[in-house]
Amino acid sequence: MKKLSIVSLLVFLLVMAILPHLLDPRWQTVAVTFLVFSVVALSQDIVLGKAGMFNMGQAMFFGMGAYVTAILNSHFGWPIMATIPVAIIAPVLVGIVLAAPIVHLRGDYLLVVTIGFNIVFVQVLINNLGGVTGGPNGIFGIDPLRLFGFELSSQVAIYYYAFAVLLLTLAIMINLDKSKVGRALHYLREDPLAAESIGINTRLYKIFAFGLGAGIAGLAGSVFATQYSAVSPEAFEFIQSVLFFSIVLVGGSSIPGVLIGVFVMFVLPEIFREFSTWRFFVFGFAMILTMILRPRGIWPATFGKIPKFLIKEPKNGG
Amino acid sequence: METFFQQLANGLTIGSMFALVALGYTMVYGVMRLINFAHGDMVAASAFVGLTVYTQVMGQASSLFAVIAIFMLTAGLMACVGVVLERVAYRPLRTAPRLSAVVSALGASLVIQNGIMLIWGPRMRIFPELVPQHYWHFGGVVISLIQVLILVISLVLMVALYLFIEKTRIGAAVRASSIDQDAARLMGINVNNIIALIFIIGSSLGAIGGLFIGLYYRGITFNMGWQYGLYAFIAAILGGIGNIPGAMLGGMLLGLFSAFISGYVSSTWADAFTFMLLIFILIVRPTGLLGERVAEKV
Repeated sequence: MKKLSIVSLLVFLLVMAILPHLLDPRWQTVAVTFLVFSVVALSQDIVLGKAGMFNMGQAMFFGMGAYVTAILNSHFGWPIMATIPVAIIAPVLVGIVLAAPIVHLRGDYLLVVTIGFNIVFVQVLINNLGGVTGGPNGIFGIDPLRLFGFELSSQVAIYYYAFAVLLLTLAIMINLDKSKVGRALHYLREDPLAAESIGINTRLYKIFAFGLGAGIAGLAGSVFATQYSAVSPEAFEFIQSVLFFSIVLVGGSSIPGVLIGVFVMFVLPEIFREFSTWRFFVFGFAMILTMILRPRGIWPATFGKIPKFLIKEPKNGG
Repeated sequence: METFFQQLANGLTIGSMFALVALGYTMVYGVMRLINFAHGDMVAASAFVGLTVYTQVMGQASSLFAVIAIFMLTAGLMACVGVVLERVAYRPLRTAPRLSAVVSALGASLVIQNGIMLIWGPRMRIFPELVPQHYWHFGGVVISLIQVLILVISLVLMVALYLFIEKTRIGAAVRASSIDQDAARLMGINVNNIIALIFIIGSSLGAIGGLFIGLYYRGITFNMGWQYGLYAFIAAILGGIGNIPGAMLGGMLLGLFSAFISGYVSSTWADAFTFMLLIFILIVRPTGLLGERVAEKV
């Protein structure tokens, strides 16, 4: 099983590495979107899946990264390269400051507060606070990324940039699973009280998970801003957070599950464009059905029925 | 001073609509510990159903009898939808992990919201003028007939619900189920029926709230459910989630709060201020105004 998952990861990465050369420009754009949203969904997985915190405001950190890059580039003339560290650090700091007073809240309350953050954030963007966010229209004309004198403006170049970000995220996720922090988060999710009593500083690790998730989402936002060379508030509305939240849970909080979820949610609608008005109607039913049939998500897939007494049920959530 | 009284009147009107919708959230949460994300969209759907009942069934009549019939029919239809929703999307997940039910609720919300869009179209529709436009002027303060009706009907409904929950045997069963489902079941209460009853009451009150929203604001859109739903949910938290008088109080207070913010500060920032109030309350007193301090299971 272990070997199989390594092989399939390598095959996936290989396919993804040659993919842009097989696609026409429109599908290259879709592929970049897939990569960017995968990164955001994985960052949501750190907060929701790994640490077990009901966060429904991940689009805010995604948007923050995008807006930091956009504002610093178009208003202050920073090169894109220089904005990337800020696009990571700013969401991290905001995430830590916002999370610190609320991480002790019980699941549902945390969910509502993070929805609140997301809505306040979008309203700040729309009302053009400080005159730098561009109001409802957002910001246009963001420069492409320049690296060692090359201008990464073609979709293929942006694809590899986004792919590198995805690889980085996957590396963080896989390392997280094996590290002390990852184990701490795991205990925390399973039973916060027990985790606390064996000496895990639950508060610190919860804030850490929030900060890490925010930073990765911010980086994805920066890529998003350079891809479209524009940002606008509606891309970071709270419905986006709902989608990321659902992707992680439908995907069973596992890397393949989350990637499948992103594919279904953002790539399939591009294939079935003529049914685009039916998109959310169908997804809604799919979400209900998945949860009824597989309450713990689609992945890991089990085939056939395994007798109940043979399964050691892992306990997720409360 | 005029602004104060005008916003007081507006706030009470909006607040009673919030309170009607908040009751649906708080009762479901009280018994099932589930945020029924689809409730806001049910409210939006009822405005559209009311519109269709008015044009198709009532032949655009707006006599007193016709208006009452529209309200009854819409509330009845939405009560059925609520029961079906619970049966299909929530009952199979009652023993599943908490988050699975949340995702199912979000899915149901998407289905209803986009169902409205597929049936009635994505553009804003205008709700019929069922109540004659009549205004009273007190100095510079204007109060409309519709505002008075909304406030009075909401108060009557809320008092009736309060008496039902506090004074009847069935009400006692509802309270018992929300304190401890298993113990209630051992006492011979059919919790499934109680949950169905809660969805009937919550959905029909929400439907009346949705019709009020249509009557008061006139413009209705398929995606307005999230906005009113979230406001109503904040109202429920403000009063202490699971607490029925709390939802009424929370709704009224939230209505007044957002009316005064719009009147004195700025209407473009009203949402932001409301959510900051929510965040503040959850940090300072997560159990809400009337919620009791209980030892929380983490």
